[in-house]
Amino acid sequence: MITAGLDLGTQSVKAVVLKDGEVVARGKAFSGFDPAKAAEQALGEALKDAKLSMSDVGHVTATGSGMDMAPNSNSTVSMMGADAKAGVHLFPNARTIIDVGAEEARAVKCDDNGIMMDFVVNERCAAGAGAFIEAMARALEVKLEDMGPLSLKAERASSINASCVIFGESDVVSLIHRQESKPEIARAIFDAMADRVSSMVHRLGVNPDVVLLGGVAKDVGFIASLKRKLGVDVLIPDFPEYAGALGAALVAVKRVKKVSK
Amino acid sequence: MKNKSEEKKYMPEISQKEIDELRKAITATSQRVVAENIEKMKKADPNRPEAMQYFDEIADFATREKEIRAAKQEGKKVIGYMCLFAPTELILAADAIPVRVNSGWYDASKLGDRVVPVEVCPVVRSTIGAKMIALSPYLELSDALISVLTCDGMTKLGEILSDYTPVWAMSIPRVKDSAQSMRLWIEEIKSVKGQIEALTGNKIKSKQLKSAIELTQKATKAFRRLQDLRKGSPVIMGRDAMLVNQTYMWDNIERWTEKTEALCDELEKRVSQKNWACPPDTPRVMVTGTPMIWPDNWKVPTLVEEANPQGVLVADELCSGERLLYDPVGVDEWSMSDMLNAIAERYLMASTCPCFTSEDGNEDRINWLLNKIKEWNIQGVIYYVVRGCMLYAMEYTRVKKVLDRMSVPVYYLDTEYTREDVGQMKTRVEAFLEMLSARIDI
Repeated sequence: MITAGLDLGTQSVKAVVLKDGEVVARGKAFSGFDPAKAAEQALGEALKDAKLSMSDVGHVTATGSGMDMAPNSNSTVSMMGADAKAGVHLFPNARTIIDVGAEEARAVKCDDNGIMMDFVVNERCAAGAGAFIEAMARALEVKLEDMGPLSLKAERASSINASCVIFGESDVVSLIHRQESKPEIARAIFDAMADRVSSMVHRLGVNPDVVLLGGVAKDVGFIASLKRKLGVDVLIPDFPEYAGALGAALVAVKRVKKVSK
Repeated sequence: MKNKSEEKKYMPEISQKEIDELRKAITATSQRVVAENIEKMKKADPNRPEAMQYFDEIADFATREKEIRAAKQEGKKVIGYMCLFAPTELILAADAIPVRVNSGWYDASKLGDRVVPVEVCPVVRSTIGAKMIALSPYLELSDALISVLTCDGMTKLGEILSDYTPVWAMSIPRVKDSAQSMRLWIEEIKSVKGQIEALTGNKIKSKQLKSAIELTQKATKAFRRLQDLRKGSPVIMGRDAMLVNQTYMWDNIERWTEKTEALCDELEKRVSQKNWACPPDTPRVMVTGTPMIWPDNWKVPTLVEEANPQGVLVADELCSGERLLYDPVGVDEWSMSDMLNAIAERYLMASTCPCFTSEDGNEDRINWLLNKIKEWNIQGVIYYVVRGCMLYAMEYTRVKKVLDRMSVPVYYLDTEYTREDVGQMKTRVEAFLEMLSARIDI
């Protein structure tokens, strides 16, 4: 049985193809101006990789902020529902699942069956999400992927107020004027982000195991800061940016079974 | 010397041309939004009760405006109010017309930004904006306003509006359960009674006050009957019931009561025929928090009832909704002093406004929520807050603790007076409803 999950995120579309519940291929495309086309492209790429065609797929479930635009999808699931499903599939003891994407951070609390019991989303502001790191990397004239490793070299912590991307940027500028080093500023940026994410998670309660998903889960700088702020270990899967698509594909498995019954 | 009465404390100078243009544009948007909301409500329940037609008509501001204007020409006075604590019985007893004047127009809040910072609650900013361009017929028709000093926003709103209209401020104690609080509040009630009498030129006599109390008691009875009908399988969509509740704020009370009773008659028939407004297993949702005011601020009820998966609103704890009229004035002896005491008691003690505090937190509100959850069989609560609504935002933590203990899912939904965030809100509302359904099956 083949199922697929599509995650139409704000920055990129991810596709995951499952065969009997196991991942056989992944695909990714930039959302750009035509997310529907990007979805087709991402799924097409994954299917090609797995040597399958669209007609082999039993059920496609879409998630992400653009889920209603997904072509060829049979159903949808909320981003929080997909996170819960993927988190518990990857780490059976996961009870708190954090997902930090390009423009949104959220946390889901779930029960033993991967069913979401509660969730929180960052308050209509990108300061706790990936776009913040991007903006700050520009201010520091550092490549996005170098931000994390750079921050780990910091010898001490300084702080900025990441209540908002714009204010965060002017705080960074004042650190530059104070001639703080780049590693310290980079760390301050991740600390500020992790602060926002961790206070959001605290509103749900920090129930181990804690799992981090989403594109930002690939950033070593953010991971280090988040672990410090939460005071617990944080589990990260391989391919964390595909977790939403994986969750959707797992929901598709359930749904295809329900139909065939 | 400059004429002191013409000096404005807050309001900026704005040219008549700009006023006219803005009013015209926002009124046009408002009419479109009213029509769209009603269209969506009709679509949500193709078999919508016939009695709703009356409420659709009165939801259009122009109909009631015309009536009130005519009454004013015959010498009647209009007294507006912002918070629910304004004793409408005293207004009615003096043969004046009570209307609530809080603004639900999103676009007007942007005008309010010229007077106060954007951090201020948008209900307040929008009401200021509405006044700047004479947008709200009820606010414009008011000869005086009763401003009850509940939250910080409302306290300053009255002060700002007094640039245009006489405002009678009423101090409300923040601790309900004490003898000195009640003494203060009774004095405030008596003092506003004097102001109403002076404005209208009508001395409030026992006989008139008794009839006014009886009038609102009848309205309360009809109001409660409607909410009780929402306890079982959904016989009316939440938005329809909310519109009925909300029109009480500006309608003629006697006629409103008749029409609401007629609606309830129709609904009772439907219950006996098991003729439901939506599938009986639709997740049952309650909203609580910042008031939601017609016509623009209808987005949360619309999102919930048009979501995929769908939800149905069966109860609320809103001062623009079920809190309006849930509690009757309870009088033992029909003497003037007993009636005034009963009015004071009803407005102070029955309120669940977050401006109050007690040792156990705002316990009356918690009890209201718990009672609703139990009696109305609520499966999930949406805690709705607009940015800048400090008291509701702060009280969330307390409410969530109590509801968590009872395993009742609650979601904090924050927004602004804007249409642009509907997409984001939809994601959250749908995730919440999915969660309610997932407790059954995913």
